[in-house]
Amino acid sequence: MTQHTEEPDLTNGRGLQSIREGFYKFVFFAFAALTVVTTIAIILTLLVDAVTFFAQYSPVAFLTGTDWSPALKPVSFGVLPLVFGTLVVTVTAAFIAIPVGTLTAVYLSEYAAEGTRQVLKPLLEILAGVPTVIYGFFALVYITPVIDVFFPSVTTFNVLSASLMVGIMTIPMVSSISEDAMAAVPDSLRQAGYGLGATKYDVTTGVVVPAATSGIVSSYILAISRAIGETMIVTVAMGMQAKLPVVGSTEVFGFGVPFVHPGTVFLESGQTMTAAMVQIAQSDLAGGTTAYNSLFAIGLTLFVITLLMNIVSNVISERYREEY
Amino acid sequence: MAETDVDAGVGFTGVSRLRGKVFALLARAASWFGIVVLGLLLALVVVDAFGLAAASSGWYAGALVGFGAPTLIYAWYVTRTRPALRSVAARTAVLPLAGLVMAGGLAVLFVIFEPLLWFVYYTVSVLPAVLVFLLLRRQEDSRAPLVGGFVGAVGFAAASVLVGWVPIKPVTWLILLWVLVVPFASLVASRAGTDSRNRQSTIAGIIVVGGILAGAVLPRSVAVSPEVSIILYLSVLVPLGWYAGLVVSRERRRWPGLLSPLVLGAAGWLGLVLADTIGRQGPDVWLDWQFLTSAASTFPEQAGLFPAIVGSVFIIDIVAVVSFVVGVGAAIYLEEYAPTTGYTGLLTRVIRVNVANLAGVPSVVYGLLGLGLFVNLLGMGLGIVLVAGLTLSLLILPIVIISAQEAIRSVPNDVRQASYGMGATKWQTIRNVVLPRAIPGILTGTILALSRAIGETAPLLMIGAATTVFAAPETFTSQVSAMPLQVFYWSFSVKSTFREFVAPAGVVTLLGVMLSMNAIAIYLRNRYEQRT
Repeated sequence: MTQHTEEPDLTNGRGLQSIREGFYKFVFFAFAALTVVTTIAIILTLLVDAVTFFAQYSPVAFLTGTDWSPALKPVSFGVLPLVFGTLVVTVTAAFIAIPVGTLTAVYLSEYAAEGTRQVLKPLLEILAGVPTVIYGFFALVYITPVIDVFFPSVTTFNVLSASLMVGIMTIPMVSSISEDAMAAVPDSLRQAGYGLGATKYDVTTGVVVPAATSGIVSSYILAISRAIGETMIVTVAMGMQAKLPVVGSTEVFGFGVPFVHPGTVFLESGQTMTAAMVQIAQSDLAGGTTAYNSLFAIGLTLFVITLLMNIVSNVISERYREEY
Repeated sequence: MAETDVDAGVGFTGVSRLRGKVFALLARAASWFGIVVLGLLLALVVVDAFGLAAASSGWYAGALVGFGAPTLIYAWYVTRTRPALRSVAARTAVLPLAGLVMAGGLAVLFVIFEPLLWFVYYTVSVLPAVLVFLLLRRQEDSRAPLVGGFVGAVGFAAASVLVGWVPIKPVTWLILLWVLVVPFASLVASRAGTDSRNRQSTIAGIIVVGGILAGAVLPRSVAVSPEVSIILYLSVLVPLGWYAGLVVSRERRRWPGLLSPLVLGAAGWLGLVLADTIGRQGPDVWLDWQFLTSAASTFPEQAGLFPAIVGSVFIIDIVAVVSFVVGVGAAIYLEEYAPTTGYTGLLTRVIRVNVANLAGVPSVVYGLLGLGLFVNLLGMGLGIVLVAGLTLSLLILPIVIISAQEAIRSVPNDVRQASYGMGATKWQTIRNVVLPRAIPGILTGTILALSRAIGETAPLLMIGAATTVFAAPETFTSQVSAMPLQVFYWSFSVKSTFREFVAPAGVVTLLGVMLSMNAIAIYLRNRYEQRT
C-alpha cells in the first residue's frame, strides 16, 4: 500500500481535469467493488436455489442421509456418501502432499543451491498449472493399470488413482507457501543455532521449521481446501457411485470389532461432492427439479467449507506469525 | 541460509551426521518426486499422441543416426571450437519456433473473422485512423489521439454499413498482403533506425515483394495455400532475416551461428529419409495436421480438435479483455487510490480480504455462479461463448488483481513523488509513470492466469457447455466446446482407440498451448528482472 501525503494539489481551478481525475477514480473503484459484488452474487445464487431445495427436502435428511441417488426413483438426497468420498480423497491426498510438500519446502529453503532452485521452482509451478482434467486422464489411463499390477481386484474407476493424483497436484500448494514462510525466518536465528553447535539438521528441524509453523500450517489448510474443491480429477478417474463403506466385523480375542476392508474403499469407485455436482449438471439442466436444486445445496456446502478453511488459514498465518 | 560446514566440528557422533545426511537426501528426493512422476506421465502421453510405440526399432535407429549425427557435429563445432557462436545459434534455432507459434495465432484470427471483414474494416477504419494519428503527431498536435480515434470510429461505422455490399472481393492472399504485409513492412522500415530514407524504403520494398512472391508464385510449386505461405513468410522468414541482418552487420564473424535452423532442418529431413529406408514401420502419428484441422468424429482416424481449439480461442479472447481491464483497474484502485482510514478504509479492507478469499473458491462453484447468474437470471443461453468467457473471467479475476497489485507495489515511490513534483495529476502519474513500469509484471501475471483459464473444465461443464461440438463457433452467442472439454469427452469414450490415442493427442495439444503461454510469461519476467 502506498501513500502520497505530500501530493501537491495543482488541480485547483482546472474544471475538466478534476472531472477526469474523479471519473478515473470512480471507474477503478467500480472495478474493485465488482469483486465484492461477485462474492455476494455467489452467495445469493447458491442460497436461492438451495433454499428452494430445502423447502422440498428436509435439511436434516440431507445432512444425515446415507443414500445419494438423485436420478433413480425413489430419489434420495443424503449427502453423507458424498462427504465420505470427499473425505477419503482429501485425507489420502494430504498423506502425500503434506510430507512431500514440507520436505520440498525445507530443501528449497535450506539445502538447495541457487542453481537448483532456479530449475525446481518453475517446474513446481508447471506441476501446479497442469489442467486438472489432464491429471484425471493420467489417473484413469496410466495410473490405474499400475495399481492393477499390485492389486488385481481394482476397478477401472477407483478412488486410489484419483486420490494419488490429487495428492501430487497439491504438493506445490504446500511447498510454495511453506517455503515462503521458511525463507522469512531471519538468518540470525540460524546463525544462533550454529553458534550453539547445532548441525544443519538440528537448525532446520529445531529452529527454522518451528519458527515457520504458522505459515506451514496455513499452507496445509489451503492445500486441503484445494483438494476438497478439486473437481475434474475425481470426475474423470473416480467413477460415479456415491457410497458409504460396508462395515463388516472381525473377531479379535473373541470380541466382534467393526471393520472396513480398505479394498472396498480405495479399489472401487466412489463419488465426491464436486463429482456429484458435475454429474447432475451434465444430466439434468432442465432446472426446477429437486435434483437440479440439490446441485446448489451441495455447492453451498462446498462453498461454506472451503471459505471457512481459507479464513482459518488466513487467521493462523496472521495471528500466530512470529514477528522478528 | 548458512553455508558454514558445521559438521566439521569435533564431538559430533557418527549417528547425528548420518541422520543429517539421510534427512537432506530425503528432502532432495521429495522435491523431485512430483516432478519426476509428472515427467513420466508426460512421456507416456507424448508416446501415445505420436504413436511412437508403433514404430520399429530400425526406424528409430535410422532417425537417430540421420538426425543425431549432423546435429551433434554442429553442436560440437559451436560449443567447443567457437563458444562465441552459442547465443547466435540458440537464438536462430528458437526464432522460427516462436514464429510458428505466432503464425498459428494469426491463422486462427483469420479463421474466426473472415478475410473480407479484415479488408473492409482495415481499409475504411484502421488505416485512415492510424494515418491521421501519425500525421498529427508528426506536427506535434496534442489532439492526435482524439482525432485519430474519431476518424477510426466514423470509419468503423461506415465499414459496418459497407460490409453488406462490397463491390469487389479480392483474392484472400491479396487481402493478407494489403492488411498484414504492407503495414508490417512500414513498421519494420520505420524501425530500421537509419537516417537514410533510401534504406527504409528498400527494406519495405523487399518485404512487400517477398510477400507477393510468397503469396502468388511460390505456393504453386510447394503445394501449400498462398495464405499459409504469406503468414509463414511474415512470422518466420522476415524475423529470421531481420536477425540475420543484425548479426551480419554488427558481428560479422559470428555468421556460422546463423546456420542452426538450416542444420536442424536438413538433419530432420535426413533423419526421416534414413528412417524410412531402414525401418519398415514408422510411428503412427495421431497428433498431426488432420487432427488439428478436423471436427470431432465417431471414427478415431478422422477425429479432430478444430472446433474445440477455435472455441478455446473465442473464450480466451473474452477472458483476456475482461479480466485484464477489470483486474488492472481494481489493482490500481487498491494500490493507488484506496484510502486506509475511515469508513472507506474499512471498505478497502473488506475488498482486500474478499479478493484473497475469492482466489480460494473452488472453480466448480464459479460454474454454479455462471449458471445461476448469466444463464438463469440474465437469460443468456446455456453453454454459449459469452457465458463461458464471463464465467472464466470472474474465476481468474482474483489472480489477475493480486499479481497486478504486486507489480504496481514494486514501482518505487520516488518516481511517483518525482512526477507529482513536476505538477502531474494522479491519473497522469499512474498512466505515464506507474503503469509503464508495472506493465511487464502485470502482463506476466495475466498470461499465467489466462493459461490457467484455458485448462479449466469444471466451470464450463456447469454452465452447460457441450463436451463435443461438430462446428466451430462463429459468433459470441454460439454453442461452444473447448479443448479440455473435448479431452474430457474422449476420456470416457467407449472405443478404446479414443482413450488410448486420440485423447493423448488432445492432451498434448492443450499442454503445448499452455506451456508456450507459461514460457512467454517466464520470458517476460526474466527480461523484466534483468532490466531493474
